[in-house]
Amino acid sequence: MKKMISIFSVGLLILLLPVALVAEENGGTDKYSLWIGSHYTDFTDYTKSVGEYNLGNNEWLPELGFKYLSQRDNSIYTLYGHYFDKNNVWGKINTRVGDKFTGEFQYRSLVKQMGQDLLVNAEAREWLPPDTGGKILTHEITDPDADYKTHRQEFTGKMSLLVSHKNNVRLIAAHRTILKSGTEQKIASTHCFSCHLTSKTAKVDNRTHQFETGVDATVKKFDVGYRLAYRIFENNAPDASAYWDPAKHPVSGGAASEFASRVIYQDATLPFDTYPKTEKMSHKMKLKGDLGKGYFAGTLNYSKAKNKSTNLATTAWTGAANYTMPINPKTRLIAKIYGARLRSDDPWIDLPTYRDGAIDGNFMDFDYRRYSSQDRIEGRISAEVITRLTPQMKLAILAGYTKIDRYDYPIVGEGTETNKLTAQAKMYYRKGLKYTAFLKYRFESISDPFVSGFGLFEAAGYQNPLLDPLVPTSNWVFYFQREALRYQSVTSQPTQVHKFEWRSTYRPSNKYYVMLGVKGKLDKNNDLDSLDVKHLSIQPHVNFNLMPDPAWVVTAGYSYNFDKSRVPLAVALFDG
Amino acid sequence: MFRDPVGDARHYGSMYTMADYKSKVHNIYFNANYAATEKMRLFGTVTYNMAEAALDEVLMPDVSDRLVNPAIIPGGVDLTHANFDFEGMPAYSDFDYKMLSFQLGLSYKITPTLTFTADGKYADLTDDAGYVFGNETGSFYVIRSGFKVDF
Repeated sequence: MKKMISIFSVGLLILLLPVALVAEENGGTDKYSLWIGSHYTDFTDYTKSVGEYNLGNNEWLPELGFKYLSQRDNSIYTLYGHYFDKNNVWGKINTRVGDKFTGEFQYRSLVKQMGQDLLVNAEAREWLPPDTGGKILTHEITDPDADYKTHRQEFTGKMSLLVSHKNNVRLIAAHRTILKSGTEQKIASTHCFSCHLTSKTAKVDNRTHQFETGVDATVKKFDVGYRLAYRIFENNAPDASAYWDPAKHPVSGGAASEFASRVIYQDATLPFDTYPKTEKMSHKMKLKGDLGKGYFAGTLNYSKAKNKSTNLATTAWTGAANYTMPINPKTRLIAKIYGARLRSDDPWIDLPTYRDGAIDGNFMDFDYRRYSSQDRIEGRISAEVITRLTPQMKLAILAGYTKIDRYDYPIVGEGTETNKLTAQAKMYYRKGLKYTAFLKYRFESISDPFVSGFGLFEAAGYQNPLLDPLVPTSNWVFYFQREALRYQSVTSQPTQVHKFEWRSTYRPSNKYYVMLGVKGKLDKNNDLDSLDVKHLSIQPHVNFNLMPDPAWVVTAGYSYNFDKSRVPLAVALFDG
Repeated sequence: MFRDPVGDARHYGSMYTMADYKSKVHNIYFNANYAATEKMRLFGTVTYNMAEAALDEVLMPDVSDRLVNPAIIPGGVDLTHANFDFEGMPAYSDFDYKMLSFQLGLSYKITPTLTFTADGKYADLTDDAGYVFGNETGSFYVIRSGFKVDF
């Protein structure tokens, strides 16, 4: 923490240095205001939802706020701050010295309260009354009086310094730190032989640091820029741990060695739900300026994100370019192109042999290489023509195409290709200052959207050779053999999307206006055998603003959000 | 996995149904600012949020004709000991929140550089379908007062 304070003290000094310099200037304006007060809070019944971000006590507590503004011919300096309690504090400093220097530093602190999942749904038994028995699902709350809350502190700072008027060379630096501390709920789930969930209280103590630096310049008629960014996340809290029950038959309690040979760990206290240490480094280049008859803007990014706890990394290349050019005095074209390539490490998952040493021959090696569904190459291209039909009316027509090629999902080397065609029309209408309207319709047609590979349905295993014993001399049939029965990939992703939006503003005078609008979306997937996946959302809204006389300002509004998703629910039918 | 007396696995595939999950959210707000006199300003805010969400009743198909296994129950169906009724699922997905919040305040300029302020906020949440975290019904109020000095 001392190191953090040192870093931010240096940042503050850098921001305050220009203030000291401008203070030497004569004239100008200085304004201060200080608010000193007190607050009293009282809660009734359950407080963690209604008071999710509101903490308080049944006593009067001090509260403080301040503002400072300093303005000179060539500079502005502002300082704002508010203290509610030691965990709810906000402060912000802004500095601008001509076109040479800008700086901003902000601190925000708040507390979020969280409820406790009571796990009441995690209670079931296989056999129906009166013959209750069979396998059982139970839960245990080890901390029924837990009071989960996390304190979040955020420090941000950014500076820009003009080092040369020639080529407008400007250095950029930015920083962001997020600290989280407190407690949270974690739930450990034991193996299916005891189907037992255990809720525990875990400490929270993690931090995220982000740094960015770069340079902007003008070279000939182009603005060019480069950014180097680094982000790291680390956890300093001790890992949560839980005891995993000894392996045994779920009903009889016997056959311990047989059940122990089927699991990776049992009868042990182990860490769970741990936070990884991660870092990300990225480089970004940008270029924009007039090109030919139009205007060009492009970016190129490379980033590498690494989980340092597991030594696994993901790399991404992305690039985007836009070109805007006039076709005639009333019409212009905007062409866009985007490409991305994502690759993740493919780790080898090394597992203990299932039923290692089984003399009946029923043992299995489940080692495998895990390929990521993130691995892909993606391309997008679109063209939009915007034309003024009349002095009041403007029309924009867009056509686009997206292609996503997943290398290894759902089957290694046989990844799916998703293709998307987009068509969109937008209409703008303005009649003086009294009336404006906007209308939009967008259609997307998608082939082979992202799927859950063979993840939902199972064919019957009864009288099916796929569920014959692995070893002819054995009578054993294992759960994992069900994998061979799985069929049909499913998805909640659509193959057709319709989007609609309309909004309109009526302003008969400067004293009031009314804004009406509605957004809607319908998507569905008709390519799934026997499934009827679709989603519908409608969001109408109305807003009023009234200023009947200079003393009154009244605003009011209503919005409604309706969502409906049609989804499949499936359950396997088997005994054992 | 259990097998029947003649050695066939007691596994009959999977059954499924389609179900709708619906959510409806209403938001209403009203803000007013009134400069009562040159020295006094009043303000108030009322917001009301009503949110409902639920999964429709889960009606699985009758699959008893697929569970016929004469080796287990001659003339009957297997898995009768298990409960494939999902009547509890919609209850677990139910969500029914109503949140009312209002705030009133005033500021009064005692002198050109000294202003008195006072405001209060009340929020009330009614949870008609508590489940995951229990019943979350609750309310709170905060009242605040102070003086602002301009330099």
